[in-house]
Amino acid sequence: MVLLQPDPFLNELTSMYERNTEKGSVWVTFKRSSMKSKATRNKMASAGEIVEYTCLVRATDGKKTISTSVSAKDQQRFQASYATVLKAHMSKLKKRERKERKKAAEGDKKTKE
Amino acid sequence: MVYITSWDEFVDRSVQLFRADPTSSRYVMKYRHCDGKLVLKVTDNRECLKYKTDQAQDAKKMEKLNNIFFVLMTKGPDADITEVTSKEQGEAQPAKRGRGRKQ
Repeated sequence: MVLLQPDPFLNELTSMYERNTEKGSVWVTFKRSSMKSKATRNKMASAGEIVEYTCLVRATDGKKTISTSVSAKDQQRFQASYATVLKAHMSKLKKRERKERKKAAEGDKKTKE
Repeated sequence: MVYITSWDEFVDRSVQLFRADPTSSRYVMKYRHCDGKLVLKVTDNRECLKYKTDQAQDAKKMEKLNNIFFVLMTKGPDADITEVTSKEQGEAQPAKRGRGRKQ
């Protein structure tokens, strides 16, 4: 499991999507984590210190796993870049099927005639 | 597997699930380009909610959900997510200076 900084993580994520275009899946998991063990967390809580949480993001293609930890400060920037990566790669999803079908049907009729 | 058909219901129930147990809840997204399918899962290891789709419009809705989860996870389960719209990105930057705990 490779723990990376947010920016290299996004680069690796991009390559992962590219590698898995013909076959394979990409899983991305978000989980809240304080990055500390339970014992440390309990000590901090009882001592009255605020336990800071981050968002742990993991990505895998079944073979390779990468991860990164996003804190509240990085969150806005990471969110925007992450959205860009997803939008760029999720191109195979269908767009407005019904309208496309109608257009395709009309198109087919025209070519046949 | 519990597949939910309504997007809004999926969002409401998953936010509820996360707020009930933020330490053990997780949000998983699986994308298969070869099949053109996207599956979302939110679970706290007891209950599981899933949503599957092959529609591009759902990818846009999922982005908003991603933002919601980012905010919930980094700022805490009590964070106000009603601001998580395109407005937040413009307003959050000047507001951040005032919010900082460390200051």
